[in-house]
Amino acid sequence: MAREIYAYKCRLCGTMHYPFRMVCKGCKQNDFFEFDTVPLPKSGKLLTFTRVYNLPAQYEVATLGLGIVELENGMRMLGQLEIDEPTIGMAVKGSVEVVRKETYDDYYGMVFTAA
Amino acid sequence: MRDVYVAGIGITTFTRLEYPLSEIASYASMMALKDAGVTEVDQLYVANMGAPRVNHQTALASAVADSLSLLPAGAAAIENGPASGAAAIKAGFQAVASGMDDVVLVAGVERMREVNNLEATDFVATLTHPLTEYIYGVTLPAHAAMFTRLYMEKYGVTERHLAMVGVKNQNAALNNEWAHLQQEISMEGILDSPEAMTNNPYVAEPLRFFDACPVSDGGAAIILVSEEKAKELGRPMIRLSGIGQATDTHAVFEREEPTDLLAVRKAAKDAFEMSGLTPEDIDVAELHDAFTILEIAESEEVGFFPKGEGHTALEKGETALGGKIPINVGGGLKGRGHPVGATGVAQAWEIVTQLRGDGGKRQVEGAKTGLSLNFGGFGNNVVCLTYVRED
Repeated sequence: MAREIYAYKCRLCGTMHYPFRMVCKGCKQNDFFEFDTVPLPKSGKLLTFTRVYNLPAQYEVATLGLGIVELENGMRMLGQLEIDEPTIGMAVKGSVEVVRKETYDDYYGMVFTAA
Repeated sequence: MRDVYVAGIGITTFTRLEYPLSEIASYASMMALKDAGVTEVDQLYVANMGAPRVNHQTALASAVADSLSLLPAGAAAIENGPASGAAAIKAGFQAVASGMDDVVLVAGVERMREVNNLEATDFVATLTHPLTEYIYGVTLPAHAAMFTRLYMEKYGVTERHLAMVGVKNQNAALNNEWAHLQQEISMEGILDSPEAMTNNPYVAEPLRFFDACPVSDGGAAIILVSEEKAKELGRPMIRLSGIGQATDTHAVFEREEPTDLLAVRKAAKDAFEMSGLTPEDIDVAELHDAFTILEIAESEEVGFFPKGEGHTALEKGETALGGKIPINVGGGLKGRGHPVGATGVAQAWEIVTQLRGDGGKRQVEGAKTGLSLNFGGFGNNVVCLTYVRED
């Protein structure tokens, strides 16, 4: 089964959240975890991007592509990019992969490629 | 609410310092206490971001209080990311303004060079959103780079504008004996010559090495007092006239207009409202240029220039010494250095130096009002302060 990254929808007012919040930013009434999980779409367009050359200590790659993507439903997320020459506005598609490895843990996140 | 005055200031050289963290804070504090002419305080606040993680020390304020023989004064450390310094000044202001305390020491300190650059980068990156930013390998330079690309696209800012800020601020640091970088740079060396791209490689495209502040150790301190105490001490009457602080989304990608820095806008607006000043009234400003783009964007958000026109004002020299609103005449974070917890206090140190007329070669002629902006997170926690010389 393909892995997903989830947004959180308030059961009281419908406001979507990513990242998760303890209290709904829409109605501010929902403070008992009354959220439904909704998978984030995986297609969208690239809003901005960078290639980083001085990475935090754990990374074993020389450089890392990062970007902010506006997803099909209008929500936004940050992800890693595997795109040689990204441009603002280009269509991208994501898949959930390991984005950070630590000694005992693998962290999963969205990795985008050109659509 | 009582008026609050800055009666003393102190600073250490910003560089790599081989002293214990609490001694760096204490050294700057000793200078500030001596400058104000006091040996006792009611309360001290110590601003610091990384002591537990980077220096393996907790409860820093207790150590500083004892080291300075200020017992039994109240003491507390304040951690608020890169805006720890100005957040501690706000706490000190509130203590005096409320009437609870008459004399408060606010010190800021960081010793980041205890770890290597990769670990220092990771330490600062821990302020990002853990699950939606940090796990991807995002660093502060990465955030600034993505922000810069949008600014370039939308407003026509170029690498030349960024380099101009870098040259302006790093060379301004040559007039500040306490500043970290004491090396002159030129547009030729970092942008225009064939060697420039070797001298000035990308850190995070489109930001280059000379667009970022150095990793520094250092401390700064100020003494805040009531009006009555200020008159008794007889130092120049510099009033902390306005304070604004605002927060914004933790995850940067959530911001509706990604080129806006709404917390900067709100913090400045509140500080101006409280002080009864407008941006046109300010004679000298310290903006948080951890990256060159931030000086341009912040100069717009605090209201010195319309949105999207900061880089054209820079081109005209309006932000240089002698310009309409001189910004970061002591080098800013870029030239002075950025020991994160100390920066907000070091900005106050520079403004008070200017309002006292003690700026030497970097003095803004006749400066009577000042502003400092301390930018935490990637703009998610910002404190703005205004200052007025009254005598």
